[in-house]
This record gives sequence, structure tokens and C-alpha cells, in this order.
Amino acid sequence: MVEITLRVNGTACTGPAEARKTLADFLRDDLNLTGTHLGCEHGVCGACTVIVDGRAVRSCLMLAVQAAGSEVTTIEGLAPDGGLGVVQQAMWDSHSFQCGFCTPGMVMQAVAFLGDHPDAGEQQIREALSGNICRCTGYQSIIDGVLLAAKRSRGR
Amino acid sequence: MAAIPAERYTGASIKRSEDPRILTGAGRYVDDIKLPGMLHAAFVRSPLAHARVLSVDASAARELPGIVAAFTGTDLEAMTVPGPDALMALLGGAGPTPEFTLLATDKVRFAGDPVAIVIAESRYLAEDGCELVDVEYDQLPPVTNASFALDPSSPPLFANLGDNIARPHSRNEFGDVPATFATADRVFDFRIDVHRHQNMPMEGRGCVASYDGGLGVITVYTATQSVHVSKIAVAMRLGMEQDKVRVLAGDIGGSFGLKIGASREELAVAAAARAVGPPVKWVEDRGENLTTSGQAREESFDVRAAVSNDGDLLGLDVNMVIDTGAYPGMGTMVPGIVEAMLPGPYKLAALGFESTAVTTNKASYVAYRGPWASETFVRERILDLIAKDLGLDPLEIRLRNAAPRTDPPAVMITGRPLAGVTTRESLERIAQLVDFPAFRRRQAEARTQGRYLGIGVATFIEAAPGPRSPEVPSGPMGTEPMRLRLEEDGIVTLFTGQMPHGQSHETTLAQIAADEFGVPFEQVRVVTGDTDVVPFGLTGGSRSATMAGGVALHGARQLKAKVIEVASHLMEASAQDLQITDGQVWVRGDPASAISVGEVARRAATGRFAPGLDANLEVEAAFDGGEGGWSGGSHCAIVEVDVETGIVTVERYVVAEDCGALINPAIVDGQIRGGVAQGIGAVLLERSAYDQDGNCQSATLMDYLVPTACDIPRIEIEHLETVPLDADVNFRGVGEGGMIVAPPTVVNAIEDALAPFGARIYEQHLPPARILELIAAADSGQ
Repeated sequence: MVEITLRVNGTACTGPAEARKTLADFLRDDLNLTGTHLGCEHGVCGACTVIVDGRAVRSCLMLAVQAAGSEVTTIEGLAPDGGLGVVQQAMWDSHSFQCGFCTPGMVMQAVAFLGDHPDAGEQQIREALSGNICRCTGYQSIIDGVLLAAKRSRGR
Repeated sequence: MAAIPAERYTGASIKRSEDPRILTGAGRYVDDIKLPGMLHAAFVRSPLAHARVLSVDASAARELPGIVAAFTGTDLEAMTVPGPDALMALLGGAGPTPEFTLLATDKVRFAGDPVAIVIAESRYLAEDGCELVDVEYDQLPPVTNASFALDPSSPPLFANLGDNIARPHSRNEFGDVPATFATADRVFDFRIDVHRHQNMPMEGRGCVASYDGGLGVITVYTATQSVHVSKIAVAMRLGMEQDKVRVLAGDIGGSFGLKIGASREELAVAAAARAVGPPVKWVEDRGENLTTSGQAREESFDVRAAVSNDGDLLGLDVNMVIDTGAYPGMGTMVPGIVEAMLPGPYKLAALGFESTAVTTNKASYVAYRGPWASETFVRERILDLIAKDLGLDPLEIRLRNAAPRTDPPAVMITGRPLAGVTTRESLERIAQLVDFPAFRRRQAEARTQGRYLGIGVATFIEAAPGPRSPEVPSGPMGTEPMRLRLEEDGIVTLFTGQMPHGQSHETTLAQIAADEFGVPFEQVRVVTGDTDVVPFGLTGGSRSATMAGGVALHGARQLKAKVIEVASHLMEASAQDLQITDGQVWVRGDPASAISVGEVARRAATGRFAPGLDANLEVEAAFDGGEGGWSGGSHCAIVEVDVETGIVTVERYVVAEDCGALINPAIVDGQIRGGVAQGIGAVLLERSAYDQDGNCQSATLMDYLVPTACDIPRIEIEHLETVPLDADVNFRGVGEGGMIVAPPTVVNAIEDALAPFGARIYEQHLPPARILELIAAADSGQ
């Protein structure tokens, strides 16, 4: 066991983590942040995407101990006031999702990408989200949600 | 009081009620359940496809710190009751009954077959424990394909069956098959193959089982398409009375047919939880999902087609073989549905249909979105092959053969009336939406530059719910129940046996009930996923829109009548003069008289009424599908094939769909697009592959490829809402249509693109390597 400290959604968290424990399991099991979903546990599906120090990261491929000292944002931390962030609201308005299992990773990936590429067009967005699998929607509604979020963000 | 606005939610793209929780990570999926003292399970699985189990030694695992228990197949057999697959027992599955246990005891039947379950303080430790379970096997020859399974010398998977026939050969004839073939101008022979692929929901299977030894009650939280089917399975296998079993489900991360009832693993977890005491969780990982949860399709069809020189499809004679994998499941039922649906919307005069289902050493068959879809693939594929030979246009041959809309309606040669089917309309609409002559010019121009474009069309019908006919007096899909209640705070609660897993019932059923009852949308709640409070039901077979939508409408109407009856006593007004709008009951023409429906419910709960007045504001409604009807439509794809790499790009995809009245257009479109995406994936990417020893070769998402955001184009959808058959309920299911018709649409387009090479395609799976083979074979004149 290793004692680790990291900031998650703006709050300092300290706890013991077995060296082999993934960041995803640490978030879900130790911090009860079950919004981060595990879809494949081998880094392909993107459902477990969180933002670590400003970058989108697959929390199934990162060990908890590697995140020590980092700033982590999960889906629960996007709109701490209980509302919806710009991307979340745009995705609601666009009927982006169905079963919702890929949603947290998709939203986190979109937030991280739009942060760096606020002017992105459809093809860029498709490529940026191509590492996140959705099995329900055929992606169009998700892409439309991200495009709407980008448009609204630029309008501010 | 201001005029009360008339609301109309049904037909509008109301934003989903499910989304605020799903978008904030507050959804509650089975893996999010955490109970005090909860333990974790993992399975020891066979590395071999077919072997005798000589011994299982779990003693080393049991000694590992953190391991609470380890049960072998024999241990578990002693803890459970033998019996058939519960779902098949419920549905009355066809074929002989193989004998098997939840965990393998005497033999393993596919690579991944569970042989032991380890219970530990964490999932990590449970997997450590699995490493220490020592299993000795004596390998048997694997039966990895249908042709070997059909060979009487193949080693039987189930000793009590003596062969590998899951459902014996049968043959049925409709119409005069010999005469039709004898008089036909042309008879074509085709062999069409559909490959093995699978659901791959983002969330795999999983459950948490919690046993209360004092009460003798087990509670199972699970991901299922029917909590009641799961409950029946748990009660049967654990030898418990059904009232001692409660099954709960929350949010479910997709299923597409996979999660109907409880799997062998879930039943083993329930039995283990009862034995150890504390609650036990099991959530499969992606490897387990891809190799053991179940797979679908893998069917072959020998097809003879009787055709006139003008392109009339007169008759078909089809021999189907389906590879149902190792353990019993829905696969044995599929040929019967394929047979019934094979004529499709066409004027077929004769059909001979024979079929056999076989057992092989592969993951078991499970339902996957449109389980019978191969009937559409076969029909729509051979129509293009025939058209090519006769020099007919693909649209023309379909329009020529589609049954016209008549009164009374044309009847499929297999028995069902084609009431309200709009195949011709949807094909004609496709021809308007896609400029075929312009495409042909562009195609010819592109070919001169070494670019290969193709266009494909296919059409389908789906019995969602299907027509009312004298042959099925109980209605096209049986009966759908619903309990509806007006709560004392004015909320209208719908208790449904539907178990949504992405289909948005919390939104759609509330839209219908809100309109019919007369309350704001936000005032209707949909309760699902608890066997203690919801009636029997199942989400599957595209039944929800018509059946649950219909019972929501009729149930709300009944509840409203009851509320008005009670209100008429409270308000001293005639029931005929009362109406409910926007959550208020009021005397027509006198808005000042309005009282809220919540007020009526509160006074009904506490008031004293005249004898004989039923003031319990709850109804149990049922709906039999009304006049029913078909869902259907035509799809068109334009593709480009890169003949150097074999990569196929879908450039444009157009849908002309008829699912009757739309409840929520955005949700309907989502169902269609999702199905089309899975169909495109099935053709271009996905295959559940096995090597000759029966090892699954597609055990990760780097091997089992599903479409990404770069693989699926914008899908253009037009709705034809043409033929209302019922006075009230004309919503029809759209869950499966996209997946049913996208594969032939895309394959037809690919064959068209490869026309300069003379390629003929008789299969569904066309990854780049196969495309290059087809081109090479055509080049070498094969």
C-alpha cells in the first residue's frame, strides 16, 4: 500500500492505494466517484476518460499512484453547483446519448478537446472523439452536441 | 384563472428525463452498487474449447489471504437445482434439452466456459485466487463449425443428446413449391453466409446478489432486459419460491438483446452469495464479454430462386443452418422467425424452407438486434444478384415485386397480412431523395479516374408489433400490462415491466401519458426495474413503442376517467362536464372551478364517498396491440471502395422509414442511426472470430472492431407516417430496423462499386482483406 494525495474535483484526497490499483478503480471504489465508467479496461473504449492536469487520460491505463500530486477532474466535477456545464447542456439539448454508459468519457474528452480547440469543425471533432466508443447512437447526435457547445462557447 | 394551455408532448422531440443524471455521472449502473461488506467474484474459465474436466483443485486459492470462498462446478451443483435454461423454458424453446450445470463439472464446451467461482474481498484478490485454481483437462476434438457439427461422427457436446443437433432438420412448404419452380423461366442457386458477430454493449453483464438468511430472501441487482425473467431464473436455479426473490435494475449500459434474463454466471453469483453470507458483486470484464457473454448470427443459406424473365420473384426454396454455439439459447427459435419473415413485403407465391440448428464449441447464441435479420439480408442480396443477371435496376426489381397496398391487404405466403405496409412508398421516396441518374454519371466519371463508387438499396419490414390477424387472436405481441396511479401530490406514476437500457422510456411513456391524462410532462414518472412493484414485462423485439406506448395511453385514459368520477363528487358537477388539462380538473367553460389533480387525490385518500364509489386512484391496464401494424422502410447507401487498400467509406446514407406515428422524433432517429451504425460495423468491421482449435480470436476491442465517430456518416432520415390502422395507437417499433436492413444496403453498394471487376458477393462480412480478395478473384477470372 502506498499513501497517495491528489486533488480531485478541487478537493484534496488522501488515501492508501495498492501499487497495482488503477486510477479508475481508485476513483470509483475509494472516492465513490462512480460517474467514471469502465468499458474495456484496456484503453480502447474511452469510457473511463478523466482530465489529469489538463489532459484527457484513460483512467483504466493509469495507476492511482501515478496520479499522486495531480489535479484530476471527473464528470462529477464539471459543474460542481449541481447544474450542467456548457458541453453537458449542449449534449442534453442535442439528444446526444442513449444508454449513457460512454457518456462520462465522451463528455470529458469533448471538454478537454474543446478547451484546446475552441474553433474545431465537425471533422476535427469526429477525429478527436474517435477514441471513444459509443454503441448506441451512431455518433451523429454526439457530434452535434459538441458542435453546439463549441458554438455557444464562442458566442460568449 | 387564465386559459389552461393545451399541451401536446407526443410527437415532439422533448428533451430526455434520463439525461440530467446521465450527463453528470449520477446514473446508477450495476457496477455502481456498493453494499456494506460486499465481496467480489471472479470466474476460472476454460482455456480449451472442448475437454473433459478431470479435476478441479481450489485448495490453494482458498488459503490465499482475502479469499473468502472458492466453489467448483461440483460444489455449485450441490448448491443449486438442475434445470433447463430459464428463458428457453419460459419461451418454450424448440429442440431437445441438453443437460448442463451452471459451472462446468464433467466437461467444458467452449473456451471461456466457467469451471469455478472465487469470492474475495476485492476483484483484484478474486482474480489472484483464480490463478491458483488448478484444473486438469483431457482435450477433446473441438467442433468449431456447422459442417462438422452436422457430421454424425463429430463428438457430441452433450452426452445425453448423442449428436450436435440443437434443433432437428425440418421442412415446411407454403404455396405450391414444385409447380412454381417447374414453371419459372429461370432458377438461380445461391449460397449466402452471415458471419458471427455480437452485441458488445458498452456495459457488460453484471450483478450484485445479497441474501438475507433470516428472512430467506435474496435480492439481486442486475443489468437485464427483464427483471421478472431474471427473477424466474434465480428462483428456479436456487430452488426458492419466487416471492423470496427480488430483482432490481437501474440504469443499463446497453444490451441489444444480450441481457435477457439471468446468465449462468449471474445465477452462480446468486448461489454463491447465498452460501457465503455477505453480498457478492460480479461485473464481467471486456474479455469475458467478448468471449463468453454470447454471440449471434453465423448462419448459412442455400437458396434456390424461381424467377420470371421479367424479374418477378416467384418462389424461394431455402435451406438454413444456424450455429448456435455451446449452450441452449434463442438460436433454436431463430429459423422459425426467419421462415415466417422470408417473403418480406414481396408477392412471393411459394416458399420451401428447411432448417437445422447445430451446437458447436463456441460462445452460446444470444439474441442480437433483429435476431432473424438474415431473412432480409438473403432476400435483399439475391434480388440484386438476380437484377444484375437480368439487366434490371435494383430499384426497379424491388418496385416490381413489392406487394401493392390493397384492401383487403396482400398476405405473405407464410400467412401474415401486409396491412399498411408502405414498401413502394419508401422506395419511391428514396428515389426522390437520391438522384440516381446523377449518381450514375458521377460513378462513371469516377471510374475513369480509378475511383470506385457504388450505390445500394434495400428494404425491410418488421413485425413491430405486426398485423392483427385471425391466426393470432391474442394480438400481435400478446398483452402488455401497466399499473398507473395518481399520487397525492399530483404526480402520475406509471409502473411498467419494460426495462429500458437506452431507449428512453422515462421520456416517451411520460409524453404519451401526460397528453392523455392532461398533466405537464414533468408531472409523470415512469417506474421500472423492481420485481416487487412492476408488472411482468420485457424490453425487446421492438415492442415498447406500440405495446408500452399503447398501454400508457389507454391506462392514462382509464385513470383519468376514474379521477373525473371522483372529482365529480367533490365538485358536485356532472362527470361529463369535467375535463383535465395542465394538471387541473375543471368544469368545462368555467376555469375558476379548477382544482389540481393532487387535490383530488388527497381528498380521495382521506375523504368519505358515497357507497360504491371507487376512490382508489389506481388502475391496472392492459393493451393487446390494437390493430397492430408493420414497421418498415428502405435504405440507400453510397460507398467508395479504395481498391488498393480494400477500405470502404460510406459517403452517404439515406433512410425512408415508416414507423407510424412518432412519439419523440429525436429518440426515433437515434434508434435508427444506432441500428444503422451497428449494421455498417457488422459488414465492414465486426466478426467474432475463432481459430481451428476453437480459441476466440476477437477477445479485445483491438480485435473486435466496432465503428468509431470517423466510420459512420451523417444518416439522413425521412419519416413516412402513412397508414393509421388503429383508432388510438399507431406508434410502431424502430429498435431493430436499422440493424436489419443496413447490412444488405451496404453490401449491395459495395458490389455495385466493384461491378467493373465483375465481383459477386454472397457474404455479409467485408473487411478490407476480403474486399481485396474479391477484387483479385474477379481479376483472375474466378
